[in-house]
Amino acid sequence: MIEQLGNGLLLGLIVAIASVSLSLLYGVTRIVNFAHGEIIALGAVLTLFFSSSPESSFLYLDRFSPLGSSFIVSSIASILLCGLFGALLELCLFRPLRKNNYGNVAVLVITIGLSIFLRHIFLLFASAKPASYALDLQKREDYFGIQLTPRNVQVLIIGSVVMILVGLFLTYTKTGRAMRAVRDSSELASVSGINSDYIITLTWIFSSMLAGFTGIIQGVINNVRWNMGFLILLLIFAGSILGGIGTSFGAMFGGFIIGMLVQLSVGLSFMDGHTEAKNAIALALMILILLIRPQGIFGSKERIS
Amino acid sequence: MNKAIIEVNGLAAGYVKGLNILQGIDLVIKENEIISIIGPNGAGKSTLLKAIMGLIPISGGRLYISGNELTNFKSHELIKKGIGYVPQVANVFPSLTIEENLEIGLWTKTKNSKEGKKEIFEMFPILSEKKREKAGNLSGGQRQLLALGRALITKPDVLLLDEPSAGLSPIAIDEVFKSISEINNKGVSILLVEQNAKRALTFCDRGYVLDQGKNSYTGTGRDLLDDPNVIDLYLGKL
Ligand SMILES: Nc1ncnc2c1ncn2[C@@H]1O[C@H](COP(=O)(O)OP(=O)(O)OP(=O)(O)O)[C@@H](O)[C@H]1O
Ligand SMILES: [Mg+2]
Repeated sequence: MIEQLGNGLLLGLIVAIASVSLSLLYGVTRIVNFAHGEIIALGAVLTLFFSSSPESSFLYLDRFSPLGSSFIVSSIASILLCGLFGALLELCLFRPLRKNNYGNVAVLVITIGLSIFLRHIFLLFASAKPASYALDLQKREDYFGIQLTPRNVQVLIIGSVVMILVGLFLTYTKTGRAMRAVRDSSELASVSGINSDYIITLTWIFSSMLAGFTGIIQGVINNVRWNMGFLILLLIFAGSILGGIGTSFGAMFGGFIIGMLVQLSVGLSFMDGHTEAKNAIALALMILILLIRPQGIFGSKERIS
Repeated sequence: MNKAIIEVNGLAAGYVKGLNILQGIDLVIKENEIISIIGPNGAGKSTLLKAIMGLIPISGGRLYISGNELTNFKSHELIKKGIGYVPQVANVFPSLTIEENLEIGLWTKTKNSKEGKKEIFEMFPILSEKKREKAGNLSGGQRQLLALGRALITKPDVLLLDEPSAGLSPIAIDEVFKSISEINNKGVSILLVEQNAKRALTFCDRGYVLDQGKNSYTGTGRDLLDDPNVIDLYLGKL
């Protein structure tokens, strides 16, 4: 199992960041967003598009040959575009739905439809083959007994820094505080002078940028696929629920635990040749914990409803 | 004659289109006044405050604030026009600390935020002691004081209070009423919705009795307390 520790840390980090973004969006907008995985994939696919060399042919349509920009520039551009995409989703889709008082179930079904639609758009444009960024191959080295490539270490550091920044943003900035206030009660926030629609739009942007960032690092560690977001979505839901829906710290912790356990279970002897089943053990554990603590590890009772 | 801060004419509103809970309410709150609204459960008292605050759409009639028509303005815009509101339920942010709850009230103000907090902490020392605690952990009475503080920190001209004494111990109720009267002494008009009709009518300058979404009686607190119809219908059981 120990040889999976490095991969476990990486997957744990990815699921943790994604869970924070999903749970913040849920908390503020009350939308269970099945299309969150596709925003993750969007970050990865856009980065691939911007950074691959123009001769490479991962794209399905010849007209859209890649741009060959530097990886860092590509990543930043993709994250910004993911934010823009989140804003458009709110302004063109979810705000009108909210103003017309669509029920939660109707909105849920719409996000499922959106997820399927976007996923197949990626399939159309980016082909079904897994693709990798134009980064040089690196060998794994030993870091304190954990096997990682130097780039994996960079990812761990950058990911941790991003997570800390998110925590500081939510705790100490005026906007972060307003997001938490709208999460508690958007009505009370409005009558306290906050424009809830504005905060909801900012949350869409912020959450989508974080999702895009997650997709990029997921693409660095594994590869980029049209359905990569969908494959990881279940783990993200599991992580957010395990930590306690509506708490960012809980989502971070729950996501990390889920990602870690999924990867570590690959190292169990009876899993030999069955690595596809790696989600089973972590999710069984999640169900078990929720049976004992329905509000999640860090959730408060009043929030389950 | 004091000038009107809030004036409501023929107001109709409800939660669902075509189904008006309020059917033509008239109401005036003047500078420095304490007004109370009483009426049986389900009369539409909370609904009236929500309609004034822009939380539900106004389908008929008009709302004026300090002489300007602001019918169907958004809640966060009304706050800037000098109204403060404490809802009947869910009136604090439970996962935020006390200090953060007050800071949320300051969202619209960029300057003097330290001053505003200091004043509230002076008025309610208990909040100052617990300022780093989560509002969700406060007792009912302390929550009510925090809700008052959050609404007051924007320095409103008028404060709408929806049953601020509901569910509190007698001591906490006295404290809340004492705070309301201190706030009024500083020049803030008060619109108070109360279950305890007798206490509310004794406390206020003028009162309105609401029944089934309509005004049924209105007058000074004294007149209403002595009105045989009001006694019969709403005070008799007390
Ligand atoms: N969110 C809502 N959606 C639909 N109808 C509502 C809603 N809230 C209240 N009502 C209805 O509106 C009517 C008036 O309710 P309201 O809460 O204004 O009464 P109230 O006078 O404040 O009563 P109470 O003394 O119990 O607080 C009631 O018939 C109630 O069922
Ligand atoms: Mg009420």
